[in-house]
Amino acid sequence: MPRLLAIVFAFSCATLVSGKAFAYLDPGTGSMILQGVIAGVALAWFTIKIYWYKLTSLFGKKPPESLLDDDVNTDGEA
Amino acid sequence: MNRLSASFRDPSGFVFSHDGFIYRQVNTRYASEYEQLMTSGLYDALTEKQWLIRHEAVQDPSVSAGPDAYKLLRPEQIPYISYPYEWCFSQLKDAALLTLKIAAKALQHDMILKDASAYNVQFVGSRPLFIDTLSFAPYVEGEPWIAYRQFCQHFLAPLALMAHVDVSVAKLLVTQIDGIPLHIASRLLPLKTRLKSGLFSHLHLHAKTQQRFADFAKETTANQVESRKPRISKKALRAILESLAVTINTLQWRPPKTEWGEYYAHTNYSSDAADDKANVLRQFLESIASPLNTIHDLGANTGVYSEVAAAHCVYVVSQDIDPIAVEAQYQKRRATGPNNILPLLQDVTAPSPAIGWRNAERDAFTKRAHCDAVLALALVHHLAISNNTPLADIAAFFADLAPYLIIEFVPKSDSQVARLLATREDIFPDYTESGFERIFGEMFDIEQKQTVSGSDRTLYLMKRSLNADNS
Repeated sequence: MPRLLAIVFAFSCATLVSGKAFAYLDPGTGSMILQGVIAGVALAWFTIKIYWYKLTSLFGKKPPESLLDDDVNTDGEA
Repeated sequence: MNRLSASFRDPSGFVFSHDGFIYRQVNTRYASEYEQLMTSGLYDALTEKQWLIRHEAVQDPSVSAGPDAYKLLRPEQIPYISYPYEWCFSQLKDAALLTLKIAAKALQHDMILKDASAYNVQFVGSRPLFIDTLSFAPYVEGEPWIAYRQFCQHFLAPLALMAHVDVSVAKLLVTQIDGIPLHIASRLLPLKTRLKSGLFSHLHLHAKTQQRFADFAKETTANQVESRKPRISKKALRAILESLAVTINTLQWRPPKTEWGEYYAHTNYSSDAADDKANVLRQFLESIASPLNTIHDLGANTGVYSEVAAAHCVYVVSQDIDPIAVEAQYQKRRATGPNNILPLLQDVTAPSPAIGWRNAERDAFTKRAHCDAVLALALVHHLAISNNTPLADIAAFFADLAPYLIIEFVPKSDSQVARLLATREDIFPDYTESGFERIFGEMFDIEQKQTVSGSDRTLYLMKRSLNADNS
């Protein structure tokens, strides 16, 4: 049963994903899979960092500016 | 219409030149993505920050376009096209961070960078600018970043090698047009870099994963490949971009036992001779009647005389073989300007070749460097003596680049030349002031000549003669 669910999930992913039309680069299978491996760690690290900055800001410490943008909302929303 | 030879990979459009201007055609297949870029607020946000090149859509019927045209864009014109293998460490690092910032900003507007080539960044003075307006694709929820591998090959691998192995390893980019393969970078990097979480995951582990799945596509069907594709949330994708930015930002390059400030103090001498040289240069430049658009300063060191030239022309491309000098100049220009000087690495004895498909994707230095005047100060002895180049060849090289030449002759009595000759036989009977004037006189008219007070050196203002023009 879990295997069936996995297949259904994979199939739904494959059908939902329509980004191929815009892709002219070969992203590389390994590079795609690695992103799945590191995504969890990166997100956890990023989340801890945000909460740490929120905590330290309670004590008046200004959080450092993001390297990516000064006004990017940390929730990833516009 | 003259389609640029580098512009063929992406079917979204292409770049062409017409009447001396660069244009970009947007193909019909890219219409909806282009409209999303323009109407989502992303184009405005990126151009307001001066991260992305500005363009205007043109409807000039005289500008002919290829078939399948949706729009014709006339972008802001870049004064001089340079390539990643001509950039110092901080230029490549700034270009990398700019690419990541743009990717993050695009994500906010539900778009993503579909490529992350270092060639998509150009420098206008000391300011990096993303030039590929057609690099944006709609973000699809759950999709990994398609350009992740390219980003790591074009930016992370060369920067890590420059920081941890040797700055000159970046020259590998000349032979690797799609960036340095990660398994090569991983093998070259010292063991200690495996202990750094960013380099471990984005480079070493990335190389291993690529090798592990190298044959995966061959052995499986497209559906099986698709099913192995991970789903990555938007937040996680943003976290990956952030992690890449931290990894890049942590990389530092310092030449051994040198501080930038110290280096600058050593080279930016303020002796009377240097002041006099600057005055003579100023006087020469003022005496040139025709307008000076671009000047190439070859052997510019940290750009002291480029700065003098920059006050008399629109743009100076300030080039030197020494990565330390170029780095020092870039840092200075970034901090205090002027912003009409582009510092670049260039070895005049073996200038950047033409590379890529049909040797035409990235132009050779000699094809790009045609300009209004060349400065060659304290350079000729390196070419004639260190590199054994005959003076006639040196004259022909400069005559090919520009109608005006400001050149410094450094005689054998000068301590720098004496040093070059100390360990070798003097096989240069023509290398005298009169020999220099006679040989350069065959290609140029010597318009002015002045000795630099307090030295044995002489500065010349030369104008390419009609003989050279006709040859």
